[in-house]
Amino acid sequence: MGSSTATQSSSSYDLSFKILLIGDSGVGKSSLLLSFISNAVDDITPTIGVDFKIKTLTVGGKRLKLTIWDTAGQEKFRTLTSSYFRGAQGIILVYDVTRRDTFTNLSDVWAKEVELYCTNEDCVKMLVGNKVDRESERAVSREEGVALAKELGSLFLECSAKTRANVEQCFEELTLKIMEVPSLLEEGSTSGKKNILIQKQQQQQTTQSLSSCCS
Amino acid sequence: MVGLDVIRTDRTLVFYEKQENLSKLWDILAVYAWFDKEVSYCQGMSDLCSPMIILLDDEADAFWCFERMMKRLRKNFRATGNSVGVEAQLSNLASITQVIDPKLHQHLETLGGGNYVFAFRMLMVMFRREFSFADSLYLWEMMWSLEYDPELFFLYEEDPDLTAENSGRAKVKSIRQYGKYERENMRSGGKDAEAPLPISVFLVASVLKDKSAKLTEARGLDEVVKILNNITGNLDARKACSSAMKLHKKYLKKAANTNR
Repeated sequence: MGSSTATQSSSSYDLSFKILLIGDSGVGKSSLLLSFISNAVDDITPTIGVDFKIKTLTVGGKRLKLTIWDTAGQEKFRTLTSSYFRGAQGIILVYDVTRRDTFTNLSDVWAKEVELYCTNEDCVKMLVGNKVDRESERAVSREEGVALAKELGSLFLECSAKTRANVEQCFEELTLKIMEVPSLLEEGSTSGKKNILIQKQQQQQTTQSLSSCCS
Repeated sequence: MVGLDVIRTDRTLVFYEKQENLSKLWDILAVYAWFDKEVSYCQGMSDLCSPMIILLDDEADAFWCFERMMKRLRKNFRATGNSVGVEAQLSNLASITQVIDPKLHQHLETLGGGNYVFAFRMLMVMFRREFSFADSLYLWEMMWSLEYDPELFFLYEEDPDLTAENSGRAKVKSIRQYGKYERENMRSGGKDAEAPLPISVFLVASVLKDKSAKLTEARGLDEVVKILNNITGNLDARKACSSAMKLHKKYLKKAANTNR
């Protein structure tokens, strides 16, 4: 019975998008995600391989289901995590404003990775500078961030997973932008429709199996 | 890199509130990276190293225990060209699943998960994230003794009264088999190109098999990952081992049949 209630709650959305978090190890990808999902950031263990979280929210009057994939940052795992680029409508490139190398690696490494593995040409990118709560340790200026975002043709925000400043805005702005792109909107709504169809079938199946076991 | 991970490994344990213990973790991982330049440091190793420091007071002892453990596992962490060693284990997992649960394998392929990356973490950190701290250590011990002698686990599982009665015989038998298996391994390892599969791969296969009904209903890779994430903390080491052993036997039988 537990599964049927779960499908009901996940069916209450109009659009479904896949979003990917990438960037160097320790920049706060998992923290950013956890901060967005559960308002709390605990001590987080390093991500091994891939993980994901689902968040439903309402943006621009539409109920959205976001499947947000979180990846391991270490270089060795790149070929493994690259298979998760497929079908993503949005990609968030994260760096740590207190560690300059994580910023330079975005253009040197991660942006190229996106070009190479992202199957979706219209895919919306967003550059995010995390850990702005540690202002005194800042090593990358806001202006530099803006400039790189321009160069990459991506959105830009600075945030703090710890204080939750700008965290929600980050995901909202990205999804709003995705919804402006007709091809992505189409992808998001077909996966939404498919989802409802499958659920109807499943509901029929469960009622059938229920009646058969009663008889 | 080591420093980044040391401060976020097992932080829920009181043990690592002490700076002194964190330093040990840093030392051992840093020395290992220098010691084994080919592997250096790779994420996941801090999860494997942490228990050694908790179990062994002496830092040098902990290092050498970790080093021995890495002798078994370093292949997983070694990067060659564009791939990590663990990918070989993932493809082993794929062929095992194909044999013991073809329907599930087919389904996973259709979902685009034929590379089994979703099982990556289980193999990489030897189920440390899936089991509790104590359970994962229990599991490790069992795995290692199993790999030494596949019958040992069943000896432990026998009725305690029964084993007490036949303890003399059972002991002799187990020692003899233990040597035999080792010798057999060395013999076949020299000739056969294929090294024997580690039990960890069968453990993952047993987890997949156990969740097979749910997994074959999954509509996307996200659901596959979700189902596997839900097992975290709910796994029984003993059960997992015995079903891995059963699968191993089944696999060997089927593989032998197809070779005939």
